[in-house]
Amino acid sequence: MNLQTEYLRAITRRHFFGQCSTGLGAIALASLLGTTARSQDGARPGGMLPKKPMIPAKAKHVIYLHMAGSPSQLDMFDYKPALQKFTGKPCPKEFLEGKRFAFIRGVPNMLGTPFKFAQHGQSGTWLSETLPQFARVVDDVAVIKTMSTDEFNHAPAQLYMHTGASQLGSPSLGSWTTYGLGTETQDLPGFVVLGSGGKTPDAGKSVWGSGFLPSVYQGVQCRTTGDPVLYVSDPRGLDRAGRRDSLDTLRALNELQAEAIGDPETLTRIEQYELAFRMQVSVPEVMDISREPQYILDLYGARPGFRSQAEGADDPRPGYSGKDASFANNCLLARRLVEKGVRFVQLYDWGWDHHGISPGEDITHTLPIKCEQIDRAVSGLIIDLKQRGLLDETLIVWGGEFGRTPMQQNNANSSFVGRDHHPFCFTMWMAGGGIKGGQTYGETDEIGYYPTKDKMDVRDLQATILQLIGLDPWKFSYSYQGLDQRLIGVEGNAKVPPALLA
Amino acid sequence: MAVRFYRMMRLGTAIALAVLVARLPARADEKTKDTGSIQFARDIRPILSKHCFACHGPDETQRKGKLRLDLSEGAFADHDGRKAVVPGKPGESELLERITADDDETRMPPSKSGKKLDPEQIAMLQKWIESGAKWETHWSFKPIVRPAKPEIIHAEWPENEIDRFVLARLEREGLRPSARADRYTLIRRVSLDLTGLPPTPADADAFVTDTRPDAFERVVDRLLACPSYGERFARVWLDLARYADTKGYEKDLTRTIWPYRDWVIAAFNRDLPFDQFTIEQLAGDLLPNSTVEQRIATAFHRNTMSNDEGGTDDEEFRIAAVKDRVDTTAQVWLGLTMGCAKCHTHKYDPVSQREYYRFYAFFNQTEDSDRSDDHPLLPSPTRDQEQQLGRLGTELKRLRDELKRPTPEIREAAAKWESSLGQGANWTSPKPSVMEAESKATLTLRDDGSIFIPGVGPEADAYRITLPIDIPAVSAIRVESLPDAGLPKGGAGRSRDDGNFVLSRIRATLKRADGEVIEIPLTRAEADFSQEQFPVADAIKNSDLTKHGWAIAPRVGQRHAAIFATDRPISAGRGSSLTIELDHRYRLNYPGFSFGRFRLSATAEPSPKLPAIVPDPVASVLKIPDAERSNDQKQAVLDYFASIAPETKSVRDRIAAIESETKAIPIAQTPIFRELPKERRRTTQIHVRGNFLEKGEVVTAAIPSAFPPLPEGASEDRLGVARWLVDPRNLLTARVMANRFWAQFFGTGLVKTQEDFGSQGLPPSHPELLDWLACEFRDGGWSMKRLCKMIVMSATYQQSARVTPELRSRDRFNRLLARGPRFRLEAEMVRDEALAVSGLLSAKLCGPSVMPPQPPGIWQTTYNNDKWVTSPGEDKHRRGLYTFLKRTSPYPSMTTFDAPSREVCTVRRISTNTPLQALVTLNDPVYVEASQALARRAVCEGGAGLEGRIERAFRLTLTRPPAGRELEQLSALYRRRLTYYQAHVDAAEAMACSEVGAAPAGTDRAELAAMTAICNVLLNLDEFLSRG
Repeated sequence: MNLQTEYLRAITRRHFFGQCSTGLGAIALASLLGTTARSQDGARPGGMLPKKPMIPAKAKHVIYLHMAGSPSQLDMFDYKPALQKFTGKPCPKEFLEGKRFAFIRGVPNMLGTPFKFAQHGQSGTWLSETLPQFARVVDDVAVIKTMSTDEFNHAPAQLYMHTGASQLGSPSLGSWTTYGLGTETQDLPGFVVLGSGGKTPDAGKSVWGSGFLPSVYQGVQCRTTGDPVLYVSDPRGLDRAGRRDSLDTLRALNELQAEAIGDPETLTRIEQYELAFRMQVSVPEVMDISREPQYILDLYGARPGFRSQAEGADDPRPGYSGKDASFANNCLLARRLVEKGVRFVQLYDWGWDHHGISPGEDITHTLPIKCEQIDRAVSGLIIDLKQRGLLDETLIVWGGEFGRTPMQQNNANSSFVGRDHHPFCFTMWMAGGGIKGGQTYGETDEIGYYPTKDKMDVRDLQATILQLIGLDPWKFSYSYQGLDQRLIGVEGNAKVPPALLA
Repeated sequence: MAVRFYRMMRLGTAIALAVLVARLPARADEKTKDTGSIQFARDIRPILSKHCFACHGPDETQRKGKLRLDLSEGAFADHDGRKAVVPGKPGESELLERITADDDETRMPPSKSGKKLDPEQIAMLQKWIESGAKWETHWSFKPIVRPAKPEIIHAEWPENEIDRFVLARLEREGLRPSARADRYTLIRRVSLDLTGLPPTPADADAFVTDTRPDAFERVVDRLLACPSYGERFARVWLDLARYADTKGYEKDLTRTIWPYRDWVIAAFNRDLPFDQFTIEQLAGDLLPNSTVEQRIATAFHRNTMSNDEGGTDDEEFRIAAVKDRVDTTAQVWLGLTMGCAKCHTHKYDPVSQREYYRFYAFFNQTEDSDRSDDHPLLPSPTRDQEQQLGRLGTELKRLRDELKRPTPEIREAAAKWESSLGQGANWTSPKPSVMEAESKATLTLRDDGSIFIPGVGPEADAYRITLPIDIPAVSAIRVESLPDAGLPKGGAGRSRDDGNFVLSRIRATLKRADGEVIEIPLTRAEADFSQEQFPVADAIKNSDLTKHGWAIAPRVGQRHAAIFATDRPISAGRGSSLTIELDHRYRLNYPGFSFGRFRLSATAEPSPKLPAIVPDPVASVLKIPDAERSNDQKQAVLDYFASIAPETKSVRDRIAAIESETKAIPIAQTPIFRELPKERRRTTQIHVRGNFLEKGEVVTAAIPSAFPPLPEGASEDRLGVARWLVDPRNLLTARVMANRFWAQFFGTGLVKTQEDFGSQGLPPSHPELLDWLACEFRDGGWSMKRLCKMIVMSATYQQSARVTPELRSRDRFNRLLARGPRFRLEAEMVRDEALAVSGLLSAKLCGPSVMPPQPPGIWQTTYNNDKWVTSPGEDKHRRGLYTFLKRTSPYPSMTTFDAPSREVCTVRRISTNTPLQALVTLNDPVYVEASQALARRAVCEGGAGLEGRIERAFRLTLTRPPAGRELEQLSALYRRRLTYYQAHVDAAEAMACSEVGAAPAGTDRAELAAMTAICNVLLNLDEFLSRG
């Protein structure tokens, strides 16, 4: 036959519309088109719909509390009486030779902690006086004293911790998680990011980026001022009924388009607009902590409507106050989000980089302020999740991107006390879903410079998290640039320490 | 026994497999593949690559059992009487035996590798061996040969050669192409594809009514000649170039590199041939007599990130940048992921680790070194700026000449000044009678009267010096600090790390001849220079000696002087002695901020001036009697005098003003490539396991051996590499680029994995078509516009995108091209289209990046106080590619629509579909403003009737006229909204005006508000957000 004739018949699009049957709903259309949600290019079928774990899961949700800048393990968790004795003495050569530090030059002096330590709970976990509230929950927590990383500058170390690569371009832990598991509620983003401390983490938004995974898996930042999620509010002058009415018309027109062209992508679009409409209600609702009773607010130290002085300051640190409720509010939000089925909640608290160069970076004065900001909040989070029966299915991870040196940083012209970056040994803790609480894992040498037993690399931590949420760290991969990319790296050198698991 | 067991097993398997092969189902993406005989490159190599190469591939260190399967020699080789593959004899092929083995120990791939062959793949391998195990080089490593014209039945369909290849395949599959799209669809499609902007209704009408046979070609030619063509394709290239306005990493400071972006736009618009386009970007600086533009082009590889975080090692991040350049070059031109070979030999493609670093060596010789100033920079003033610079330069020269030619008055003043210097010797520096240090350090007196204490100082110290004096009174004490090579860092102080000193306090007592001792009250302090936060006044008034004092960093290597004076002279007289105590108590955890060389003097002269410190070269001339000075020496003294004389101050002030005016001209300084001079060339060493601190073998620059060598006569440097990439013999560049352009028009490349043409990538859907396009591109003068035109002029491109149920089930992803392409618009197009149809879009081309409205609180970067300040005027409404791109915090709505953050090269954007995108186009003030502006346009241009207005808005957004039912739906919504807004005046005002501003006089707010609601719907239609 002559194909040219066919072409001549189809001069305008009205032709198609004329042939269409009327009034099909999206569902009927879907069956007409033989598909519901088309899998995205590279995305797993179903996008964010919940997926079955690859292996039996211990936790359904993750709350990851990242202390950007890196808190001093030696002043909070890793008690080193011997270091006290060496305070003010020059650091032995063997700890300096062949090492690269960010700021220390020459021979620094050793620095014992200015804080008192004591043992707490049945487990006898050591804590410094900076964390009085945390003492109440130590029996639910596994303190890992022997963390070790490969990076000693903030941005690369944060990237390595969150994406498994110190260069940019790899997906974050939360993105991997939602890629692997989807999320339980479609009315809220599956991977939510909350920030405090006045600045975003040093590595920027890449630490919650989706890297080479489709961008649908990137973290969605929820804000405490303005729209909680960008553009979630209707334009001024448009009422909810008006929005609904507009969306109904939009839907009807899109359905006509779907009938005419037959592209399943149009149906996906219709679906996304319905989700957006629901999100417009559910996001502000979940973000409104004033709905919580006072005793719950008190448990966290949360304050609805609190606006931190730190927000918007060029250098927020000198203005920090221990009563700043931003982080506490975020911890409470984390519980509310998890309760609604959000898969991964990532908190970033900035301002833990205590070098001793300026007033906002002093171990003696500013570290206790930062500790006060988080102490009640994290303890409240653990207690609250537990009383709601959610702790068993929620994995909580706390820590920085590296640790801090047992040496005092030798700053020119500064009378403040600080420590430099220390990648070789630092403390993190985990609690909840699948973690055996009430233990201190690993041992460090007498000055806390190196792990001496049960060293835990960043990759081990990442593997442990993946395994607990039901993703096989070695088999869970995404094909990119010709390789099966994994969170734990293509080499796959990682272990999951059995002692940490419940 | 065991062998026989395997043989039997194999026989059984072979029969089972034969059955399987016979009803081999097609799979996922390959569903569309030609059935028929097995082809090694298409069917077998991918299986081997995915499952075997990791241990039996190019990487020697990982190779198991000495077996190599990426080369035929390896696969057919004899290993102690056994061969992996024996052509035609599956029974004798060890490979088949191992992949079908029952026990876990023997079976390949090993279970712990996590890889598994499915029965289909095993059957495929079996069939391949049976049919003779024909081996071919990986398809993309074969020379590009112009394929023969395929035979087709429907010879009337093709518009050009492209269609013959597509149709031949369709006919083999028993499919027919779709009808041509209607003209409205067609002009919208081609306008968006070539310019990134929709057509106007007038453009569309002109095309629809144009009866000339070449109507479409005329549209295409017009679009290709539009400046917006360059903007559209620059956007594509900028993803590859990882172009951004900031440097990345922690501080993510701003970088001025938009002149490069403008170079790219201009290059596309003047259709710079792709070979030249390549050479200028990779090595424009190395071209003979390179122009400013050619050097700006090299900013392509200065788009790498640089790390300004405190405490980072610049060399570490310089190396990271060079590696990124290597990886990006391989990605962009070769479609290969060479990056894997940084740490170990590539497991899949033939690039060894050694070859990686030899290729890296070409790129390792540029001057940039992760410095925070982004050096080297190339200033590129605009024409206006050039004129301004010229004017200022002339004026500056005139004034400088004026200073050089002193008037008789100045000469006279200079002579007076000189003689006053001689008279100024009213400072006395007698030989001290006592010199002691608290630390018991030895103080030595030098011939010039200065006191010297060598080496690093203690934590704290104090000096006590007594000077016998013979002046009538003491009114001031002078302290001179003198740099000395025998002191740390050649300074005047004894501080170990910087050669600085801190004078915490100075005190003086006078002992008169009669024995009376008086403290001298020092009330005024002045110094020629004080360090920031360490003013000289601290030395006489100090609240904490351990924290404050007079210091002189960073000018530690220079002479300095301070005077400390009393309010009124203290009488002294012959036989008096002056004791001066200098305290150095400043405490830091490294020592020792005491003086190392200094000189003390006293004067009786009331309110003495700070002594003039004449620089050494002039001071030595002054020692020569005037008559004996050479002309040059005389001029040197005059020049110096002119630089300080009160008489010339007005001229100097004007010079300073012009200099600061010149500095304030915002001339773009673009980071560029500059090759190191020969003597400073770097040696390249292999980085063991990719770690730059672990240096291995030294290597020289070379092209990996799997590729053709550098072309004849090409230099062995970056320029050579650039020429090699676009040499006609290069196997990949033309294919990779042809595929990339194809993907812009069809949504997917002929090779779907645009980023990987290596053995792990997917094979092309139409190999002959790809090679034909590559030949046309390469042999057709590398013209990119010609390539674009060829693609859009094809019947393939012009098909309707309508998906029939048959096509959907046969070819869901349209790999066979039996219909036209339809896909979602990319981030920048979504923005540009909304602004264009609402009439807001600025037509301004190029220039610095702009900041359209963004919600507050998005930028919170650490140690970076840059602010997002909404651009004024039309810059608020520029095309998306001009939006300021901050890597750690990109423009939110772009990110939501899958635009990358440009930290690294992005070959292919993966498009997603999320509710957050809906929130952007529904609620982002940018889109609300567009709805409001479009509503006004519709009211203004659509006549008095409702239908006319809605039709106008519809045509502006979707090009085509609305169908009856569409009009009905929209009119019904309009009437409902109108009723609402007539009852809600404030809501109407907000809905119609919140972003775009007050409504024009004589317009009805409720009508405008209702129309805004209609436009908000139109701007969110799937048809508007897609191009079909």
